[in-house]
Amino acid sequence: MVEIGSFIKLQRTKQGMTLEDLSQGIVSLSYLSKIENLKTEASSEIIQMLCTRLGIQIDNSMENEIKEKSKEWYSMLFEVNDKEEIVRTYEELQALLDRNLFDDLMLFEIHKVRYHLVLGEYEKALEKINELNKVSSTFDMEQNYYWFKFRGNYNSVIGDNFKQAMTMYKHAEEKLQQLQLGELEVADLQYVIAITHSKLRNTLESIEYANKALGVFMKQYNFMRCAQCHIILGISYRRIRMHDKAIKNYNLAKHLGELNKDKQIIQLTNQNLGYLYSTTGKTEEAIKYYTDVVDDEEVHLNERMAAITSLIKEYYNISNIEKTKEMIVRALELIDLAKDNINYKLYDYMIHTYSHAINDEHEQFKSLVTDKFIPYLKKHKDYSNLVVYSNMLGSHFEKLGRYKESVKYYKLANLTYEELISL
Amino acid sequence: MKKTIVSIALGALLVVGFSFAQSNQPTDSAMEVEPSVLSIQTPVANF
Repeated sequence: MVEIGSFIKLQRTKQGMTLEDLSQGIVSLSYLSKIENLKTEASSEIIQMLCTRLGIQIDNSMENEIKEKSKEWYSMLFEVNDKEEIVRTYEELQALLDRNLFDDLMLFEIHKVRYHLVLGEYEKALEKINELNKVSSTFDMEQNYYWFKFRGNYNSVIGDNFKQAMTMYKHAEEKLQQLQLGELEVADLQYVIAITHSKLRNTLESIEYANKALGVFMKQYNFMRCAQCHIILGISYRRIRMHDKAIKNYNLAKHLGELNKDKQIIQLTNQNLGYLYSTTGKTEEAIKYYTDVVDDEEVHLNERMAAITSLIKEYYNISNIEKTKEMIVRALELIDLAKDNINYKLYDYMIHTYSHAINDEHEQFKSLVTDKFIPYLKKHKDYSNLVVYSNMLGSHFEKLGRYKESVKYYKLANLTYEELISL
Repeated sequence: MKKTIVSIALGALLVVGFSFAQSNQPTDSAMEVEPSVLSIQTPVANF
């Protein structure tokens, strides 16, 4: 049940009314403040008068219609859905809620965090989180579940704190045990936990959660979600060097993607297959998969950027100078379109590192990698790239006969590698 | 008494070690790409 005091406060501030404006002739200013802050329970006559002044109906006659519409809106809050339709439904719902009292108003407010994330409005999502934080102590179990899940989503999407995301998802998981939510909701949480474990390189946990989610999605014949789980499994098995199992999972994901003509899934699988072949020394295979991703203009920019930078790396490693230069030119064109991408800085550093290296611009290369790129990778605890680029710097100094500096970066690569395998 | 002190010290070391390991967990590189956390919901089956 929505707390009427909180509802009145919300509507009053939305309409730009002061406590004085609303209370005038109905109750004293201090009494209204107590009602809004749930420190007293006002009589139904007073509530009626306050709501009338705010232009709100409190007869619950629209309750069912609002309930249905809000459920429909909640189910739309995924990136693949039509953004315009999501916004349109939101505006209709908001207009209804501005005039009517609704039991689940708080749940609607909590879903706004997810709404802003889906629309890519990250600052608004954070503002909403901060706003709701003030009333979060009044949340019931279901509200708490979504509150934690969406805060976890925020951390996942921003990508700067996966540990914090995991803490949030784990809180949501605890709440889930005391709720009767559908299987799909349970599986969705397991899926996001699997991804977050993967981001944190908790490989075995990632496999465990991906398998749990996969079990539910298979029962529901939700093939695209199965494909997503197979991709997480592929990544995890590659990390523990079970390459056959990784390839099997990737192929399953790709097969499901092809059956559903889902370009994003197909190319996401190709990118990861390319990486697998790259790490196993099969450069030609890797190049084939990466090229597929880069050439597909329908694919998200993030995947195309990941593929083109991977291609630069592959061609550079086999000393194909012409192709490396060609890929750098293409990457510079692509990165211009990717300024808002979360990994923009990483790609930018990678492209320029190879560009300076291939053009023998020793000073620029050294200055970029030592002063900017390596500190960036250390800050983001991106250990796998740290190994690659500190090795590259070590080898660069070695070629120039600067052995003292060379040893320093080989040592950094070695220590970072130890950090990686010890986890 | 000595045993108790040693066990407490070892226990404390374990806790410190564990917290250190936790705070040093790495994040993933961008080359291996996971699906999005917000991407798909509606069952889409074309079989």
